Amino acid sequence: MIDSLQRMRWIAANTFLEAVRQKFFNALLLLSVALVASSVFFQQFDFGSSELKFISDFGFGAVFFFGAILSIVLSTQLFFNELDNRTALTLLAKPIHKLEFLAGKFFGCYALMFCFTFALSLVLAGLLFWRETVLMGQLAEGFDGGRLIRYGDVFVFGFIQWIKFGVIAAMTLFVGSFAQTNLFTIVVSFFGLVICQLQYIARDAYLGMEAGAGRWLVQGLSWLFPNFQLFNIGDQLVYPVEESLALVTLGLIVAYGLVYSVAFVLLAQLNFRSREL
Amino acid sequence: MSSLAISIQNLTKDFSVGLRGLKLRAVDGLNLEVEAGQIYGLLGPNGSGKSTTIKIILGLLHPSAGQCELFGQPCAEVAARRSLGFLPEAPYFYRYLSGRELVRFYARICGVPRQQMRQQVDSVIELVGMSEAASRKVGTYSKGMLQRIGLAQALVHDPDLVILDEPTAGVDPLGAADIADIIRELKRCGKTILLSSHLLAQMEGLCDRVAILHRGQLIREGRVDDLLAQADAQSFVVEGLDPAAQFKVERTIAEAGGELCRVEKTQRSLDALFLEAVNERAQAAAQEVSHD
Repeated sequence: MIDSLQRMRWIAANTFLEAVRQKFFNALLLLSVALVASSVFFQQFDFGSSELKFISDFGFGAVFFFGAILSIVLSTQLFFNELDNRTALTLLAKPIHKLEFLAGKFFGCYALMFCFTFALSLVLAGLLFWRETVLMGQLAEGFDGGRLIRYGDVFVFGFIQWIKFGVIAAMTLFVGSFAQTNLFTIVVSFFGLVICQLQYIARDAYLGMEAGAGRWLVQGLSWLFPNFQLFNIGDQLVYPVEESLALVTLGLIVAYGLVYSVAFVLLAQLNFRSREL
Repeated sequence: MSSLAISIQNLTKDFSVGLRGLKLRAVDGLNLEVEAGQIYGLLGPNGSGKSTTIKIILGLLHPSAGQCELFGQPCAEVAARRSLGFLPEAPYFYRYLSGRELVRFYARICGVPRQQMRQQVDSVIELVGMSEAASRKVGTYSKGMLQRIGLAQALVHDPDLVILDEPTAGVDPLGAADIADIIRELKRCGKTILLSSHLLAQMEGLCDRVAILHRGQLIREGRVDDLLAQADAQSFVVEGLDPAAQFKVERTIAEAGGELCRVEKTQRSLDALFLEAVNERAQAAAQEVSHD
């Protein structure tokens, strides 16, 4: 067991190293940071405390948008690079299980997404702190109760997004495990992402349907795809609200994401086990 | 441990081709046994099933029928690969790692203990003659260097069986001779080597036994000396014979009922000539440097 974890760790470390040396990751990270930072230049749309809301919404949007792209494209690229460059042949000829290989790839992507979300959360928190400090000087009456933003929770939001990116990366690996090309994997994974984002519609639909085969079908589909709306809790976390999120709820969201990540990696293993290289 | 390093029985591999799933038979009822401690050559033209057989041995492909065992263990089991090292044909490695990092990565994957890591990695890098270039990125290596570092990663966990798929493809004769020396050294250390190559002259000089495959079937198998020997003919290599003495020998052969098929000058191989010339030149250059 320990040996198995060690092998996954080395494969993950190698995957991470490969990813950070890719221009795509660096370019997208810079672009994301630039986009988050640029939100302060849109002040003509909002003023006062609304400006902070605008910056945070913009930042949350950038984290999700670029994070989702990065999760799909990088996990596809890192997986297919091994197959196309035939480095997988040498690696899988060693005494390792295919699950260790897949899990190693997954953890490598996951570690990379952690760096990405942490960097963006840091930029976003820094930006919000700077603007809030400036606004507190200009509009003191609006900040009678002190600072509005809970900065620690910006990072909690980043953490929750990271869990979501893990689900996306695992789903992409699952698609890649039976796909023959990386283009197919990317396209299908993006469709999957859209379905997961809109999954709440299916949930609403079956709740309004009468019991029967149709309802079971829609309900089954809504279980098959994770509901990504559950992860959109930025406003509840970062701003003071009447009912703040309980720690248990956060834990359940994390558990929900982890269960789907594990399930997708195991499904990928089912496909990949019989795949001939 | 079984005395058979590799045991293949009635191995068949079919690939499905096209949408209609037509069967293409790559290996057809192959039976093969490789004794431990041998250098065993797998010969055959392109498409004869050599690479498919090797991939089945490595557990990368599943056989359609038949069995394959490594030291008595089914080759599909991960445990069977603990005693196996593999150098793929035209090896591609992680270009962003240095040679030493690459060998260390594979050593970790193979479970080489931490205390032995440095010593194992350094010794295989030295064995393949890559000590000077070990700190360079793999992406900057020539084809010959890639083969050498590939050989190092195959040997780093001290396997009992080493499978080399075209180990000298694209390597110059000097490099090929060095790799052949390493293979002989491995045999001296008691390793079993399964070698697949198109370079028949090299295989002839290296292998104890060979198997020749054609369209997935085994068409010849045996000791190299036995396969190449002509049962009804002998050759005498003679030095310093004048024409009169040669005439006498020819007459004696005729009187004894034999038939002299041909008289020819003994030739060295082009490989041997090339290596001798280059080595002589290299030694002369080294001596000049030491005199200066």
